[in-house]
Amino acid sequence: MEAALLQEISEKLQRGKAKDVAALVTQALEQNISPETILNEGLVCGMNVIGDKFRQNEVFVPEVLVAARAMNAGLKILKPALSGAGIEPLGTAVICTVKGDMHDIGKNLVKMMIEGQGIACIDLGVDVDPQVIVDTVRDNDVQLVCLSALLTTTMYGQKEVIDALCTAGLRDKVRVMVGGAPITQEFADEIGADCYTLDAASAAREAKRLIAEMRA
Amino acid sequence: MTNRERAMNILHYRPADRMPAVHFGYWPELLLEWAEQGKISFELARSWADGNAADSELDKILGWDFNWYRTVGAYNGLLPTFERKVLEVMPDGTQRVQNHDGLIERIRPGVTSIPSEDDYLLKDREAFETLYRPKMQFCPERVNYEYFKHFNDTRDPDVPVGLHLGSVLGNIRSMVSVVGMSYLLYDEDEELFADLVDAYADMQYKCAEEILKTGAKFDFAHYWEDICFNSGPLLSPAVFDELCAKHYKKRNDLCHDFGIDIISLDCDGVTDKLLPTWFENGVNVMFPIEIGTWGDQFEAARQKYGKGMLGVGGMDKTVLRLDKAAVDKELARLVRLSSLGGFIPCPDHRLMPGTKFELVQYYAEKIKEIHI
Repeated sequence: MEAALLQEISEKLQRGKAKDVAALVTQALEQNISPETILNEGLVCGMNVIGDKFRQNEVFVPEVLVAARAMNAGLKILKPALSGAGIEPLGTAVICTVKGDMHDIGKNLVKMMIEGQGIACIDLGVDVDPQVIVDTVRDNDVQLVCLSALLTTTMYGQKEVIDALCTAGLRDKVRVMVGGAPITQEFADEIGADCYTLDAASAAREAKRLIAEMRA
Repeated sequence: MTNRERAMNILHYRPADRMPAVHFGYWPELLLEWAEQGKISFELARSWADGNAADSELDKILGWDFNWYRTVGAYNGLLPTFERKVLEVMPDGTQRVQNHDGLIERIRPGVTSIPSEDDYLLKDREAFETLYRPKMQFCPERVNYEYFKHFNDTRDPDVPVGLHLGSVLGNIRSMVSVVGMSYLLYDEDEELFADLVDAYADMQYKCAEEILKTGAKFDFAHYWEDICFNSGPLLSPAVFDELCAKHYKKRNDLCHDFGIDIISLDCDGVTDKLLPTWFENGVNVMFPIEIGTWGDQFEAARQKYGKGMLGVGGMDKTVLRLDKAAVDKELARLVRLSSLGGFIPCPDHRLMPGTKFELVQYYAEKIKEIHI
């Protein structure tokens, strides 16, 4: 019974049925299934399937977006119960698009997928000054900084953030992940980033690994 | 040979005396950078647009032969447009603005990057039928008949000029945002997105037909799409094929009927999953073949799709920020690609800030040394 309900949450999430996911999460809570189980075996399980399919080009951006919307609908119901049960996120990531760049689709996709892994995200938005990122890292228990840039004109903003973290003496406190259309592994290496991923699903997987590494 | 003959000969696998030096314009920030360095005037920098007088003036200064994005067409946007409204001004000066397409954007002062998509009006059947469909109808105001009647006598005979066919999906994405497009595809009214694509496509077909019926002659036709990003298309290739293939075919068949056999399509990002739909339905020139996402794959794609696949682009523009040795290395690669035929090198997007003025002149001079 419990397994069937969790399976249904996962399947509805994969199909982007936000209202159904919210209703099923409510039903699961009413049946006294633990919030952590609902999160991991229902919602996160569904997002992982979507993430894997996205990486393998079996589904595309729209399917990920509607699945993430369904995930958020479920999380909204689940969050009070998670807090009540003392369930903590795996870690915290700061995410933004760098100074001069207003693009946020890729950043939002990565954020949704990372949250889908049970990681808390501080979303600083777009066109973010390096100093704001430095201040956020200093003032919060953050393990990961995720930087997006869509343009060849703004990609060097990622280096400015890494330099600012170094200058502030905070570089060792966090891992830095970079991504965006013009970014390559070579560029990531050149600017001293810890990680580059090609797509949002890989970013979420790497985020989990990097945070575990920092917390070890 | 004129540059028009050179370009058209190369794209038809016929001999040409040399390669034309072709470009795809500039980021405005680069032109201002060059003006600050005293290389060009600020007036020239500020007045530049694809195919205008400033573009031709810059071509002379830099040694380019022409800009591939020299296209003309109908007005195929919403008509009348939505009124542009500032909905909110935030404490940091960021404005939430409803633009002419009904898309709500966040615009930050001093940031030249395209705005951030915040919300959209086209969320359901009622919004489509009452707000959008009426603005997607064909009307004579969309076509400058007088201009096209005299087009053959007034156009620059030295350079190729394309008929802009609009887009099948790109402009719709601009109206509803990537997120909105995704939700419309999957929300409850399954027919809505298809109806939207059909209504918009029918109007653009009529625009192209009206222009071609004036007798205006074009060297090529051109689409703008930009519906892919760095890891693939913005929607499933199967859905794209189902919704869009018939519209490419209809518009491209019309072009063929009027003697246009070169049909180019501008799409950034990783396009490979959509190539079959485009090629099977009459598109034959990929542009601008971004190196960042295509890598050095043009040759492999040619082997896969055959000589029917043509290309304009594929030149790694980032070498123009480096030095002559880097440009020479890129030129050597372009010589090899050019030897395949049906390929005209062109920087793989707008030239970006940091591009060296003298290296552009050097490249434009050297690319002309490629003989076909």
